[in-house]
Amino acid sequence: MRRALFILPLLTILLMAGFFAWSLTSGRDPASIGSVLVGRPAPKLDLPALRPGEPALTDAALRTGKPVVVNFFASWCTPCLAEHPLFTRLAEREGAVIVGVAWKNKRDDALAWLKKLGDPYKLAGLDLDGRTGIDWGLSGVPETYLVDGQGIVRRHFRGPITERDLNDTILPFLKGAAK
Amino acid sequence: MLEFLLALLTTATVGALLWPLLRTRVDHRGRLDAELAIYKDQLAELERERAAGTLPEAEATAARIEIERRILAAGTAAETTEAASSPVLQKWLPPALSLFVPLLALGLYLQVGRPGLPSAPFASDRIAEHPAPQQLDVPRLLAEARARLAQDPDDADALAALGEGLTLEAGGTVTQAAAEALRRAIAKAPDDPRTHYYLGLHESQSGDSRAAIARWRALEERSPPDAPYLGLLRAEIQRVAKLAGIEVPPSPAGSVPPSGMPQPSREQQEAMAALSPEQRQQAIRSMVEGLATRLQENPQDRAGWLRLANAWKVLGENANAAEAYGRADTLGPVDARILADWAETHVRQLSPGAAPSLEAVMILERLEKAEPRNALALFYLGAAAYAAGNKPAAVQRWRTLLALLPADAPIRPMLEQRIRDAE
Repeated sequence: MRRALFILPLLTILLMAGFFAWSLTSGRDPASIGSVLVGRPAPKLDLPALRPGEPALTDAALRTGKPVVVNFFASWCTPCLAEHPLFTRLAEREGAVIVGVAWKNKRDDALAWLKKLGDPYKLAGLDLDGRTGIDWGLSGVPETYLVDGQGIVRRHFRGPITERDLNDTILPFLKGAAK
Repeated sequence: MLEFLLALLTTATVGALLWPLLRTRVDHRGRLDAELAIYKDQLAELERERAAGTLPEAEATAARIEIERRILAAGTAAETTEAASSPVLQKWLPPALSLFVPLLALGLYLQVGRPGLPSAPFASDRIAEHPAPQQLDVPRLLAEARARLAQDPDDADALAALGEGLTLEAGGTVTQAAAEALRRAIAKAPDDPRTHYYLGLHESQSGDSRAAIARWRALEERSPPDAPYLGLLRAEIQRVAKLAGIEVPPSPAGSVPPSGMPQPSREQQEAMAALSPEQRQQAIRSMVEGLATRLQENPQDRAGWLRLANAWKVLGENANAAEAYGRADTLGPVDARILADWAETHVRQLSPGAAPSLEAVMILERLEKAEPRNALALFYLGAAAYAAGNKPAAVQRWRTLLALLPADAPIRPMLEQRIRDAE
C-alpha cells in the first residue's frame, strides 16, 4: 500500500503535462482573462464630466441607439499613449462615438494630456477613485468596451487596442451595429 | 609585453602558494605513531587505576582488551592506506598539475590570443551607428519652429520641425497637432523626407499601416542611395510590416544593378600603364564610349548615366557630360552635389566673360535653391542677371559671394572689379 503512494508524483506530473499540452495546442489565448460583462447590459455610469462646463456622464450616453466605444484611460499610462492615435482616427475618419473615462487620474493631468495629444472623446467622465472601474470589471488601463445601441456590452478589450483589433473587430462592429 | 609581465607575476604568486604544499608530506607513519602513543597512555592510565584499586579487575581486563583491539586496527589501517597511494604519485601530482594547467593556458593563448586587439564596447558602436533621437533638444526645436512660424506661418520647414518636435515631445506618438502641422508642411513641400517619415508614422499609429508602408517605400525609392535616414526608414518599414502582418519585399538596399563601366582587370590596368599618354587617353575614351553605347540601349539606368557624365567630365567633354547629367536628371532629380558638377560642365563651355546659357541658368537656379551659398551658382547667376540687365540682382549675388570668399582668394580683384562696373 505504501509503495503505491510513490506513483503519486509521477501522476501529478503527467496531469500537469497534459494540462500544459492542452493549453498550448487548443489555441486558447493565455493572456485573455475573459469578461463577465460581455452579453450583459453595461454597468452603471454616473460620473462628473472631465471637461469643465459639460453635463455629467451618465448611462443615457450608452442608450442612444448608436454603438458606443467606451475607453478607460489615464495620462500616466503608457499603453494609452500607444492606442491614442487609433481613437483619434476612429473619431475623425469613422465618426465613431467614443466615451472616455479618465481612471484614477487628476483632472488637470488628464486635460493636459488630451490637450497635448488631441481629444477624440465625444463625452468624457472622471473616475478619480476608480469606483466605476470596479463596476465595469476593470483590471487596469487601458481597457475598451464596445457597447451596442441597446446598452449591451458586446466586446471587452483588456490592454491597448491594436490596428488588428481596429480592422477586425471594431470597424465591423461599428458598421454592423449601425445598420 | 605587459601581458607576459603579468603572467610572470601570477606564476610567482602561484609558486609562493605552492611551496608549502610541496614541502609538507602527509605522513601516515607519523599518524600511526601518534595513535599508538595515545593508546599507550591509555594503557598506562588503566594500569595505574587498577593498581590504585579504583577499577575492578574484570572491567580493567575488558578495557585493556578493547584498547589492544584498537591498536591492532590502527596498524592494519595504516598498512592498507600506505599500499593504496604510492608516495611518488603523492609527491609529484600536485606540482605536475599546477605546472600543466598554466602551461596549457599559455599554449592556448599563444595559439589564439591577440593581445593587441582593441576593445570593442557594444554601446558606443550602436550609438555611432544610430544617433539617438534624444540628442535632439526638443524644447529648443519646438521654440525655434514656433518662432519661425510666427514670422511666416507657411514656412514648410518650420512646420515639419514643429511636427517632429511635437511628436518627440509626446514620446514618439504623432499627436493630432503634430499631424496637422505635418499635413500643412507636405502641402507646401511635397518632397520633404522628414515630413513623409512622420506622416507615415502617424498613419501606422492610427491603424493604417498599409498607407504608411506605401508612403515610406515611395520615399525609399526616390531617396539617394546614401541618404543618412535610409537605415532607419528601412527598419521602420520592416517593423511596421511585421506588426501588421504585411508582406514586404526586401528593400533593394545595396542591390543597385551593376551598370555601366566594368572595372578594368589587373592585366588591363597593367597593359594601360604600359601605353603612351595619347594611347591611354584613347583607351579610356573607347571604354567611355562603350558605356555610352550601352546606355543608349538601356536608357533607364540612372546610375549609369551619372557615371557616364562623370567620365565625360573628367575627359573634358563638357557638352557630352552635361547631356548625360540631363538624362540622369529626367530619371530622378539629382541632389545638390551632382547639380554642382552638372552646372560646372555647363559653365566650363562658356567663353570667358560670356553669360551662361538659358539651360545653364536653370540648373544654376536649382543649385542655388539647394545650396544658397554655392559660389558657382552665385557667380554665374550674377553674370546671367548682369547680362539680362538686372544689375542690382547681379551686385547682390556677387556681394554675397565676396563675403563668403577667403581674403586671399585669387578671384577677389576680378569680382570687385565686376561689382564696380555694375554699380
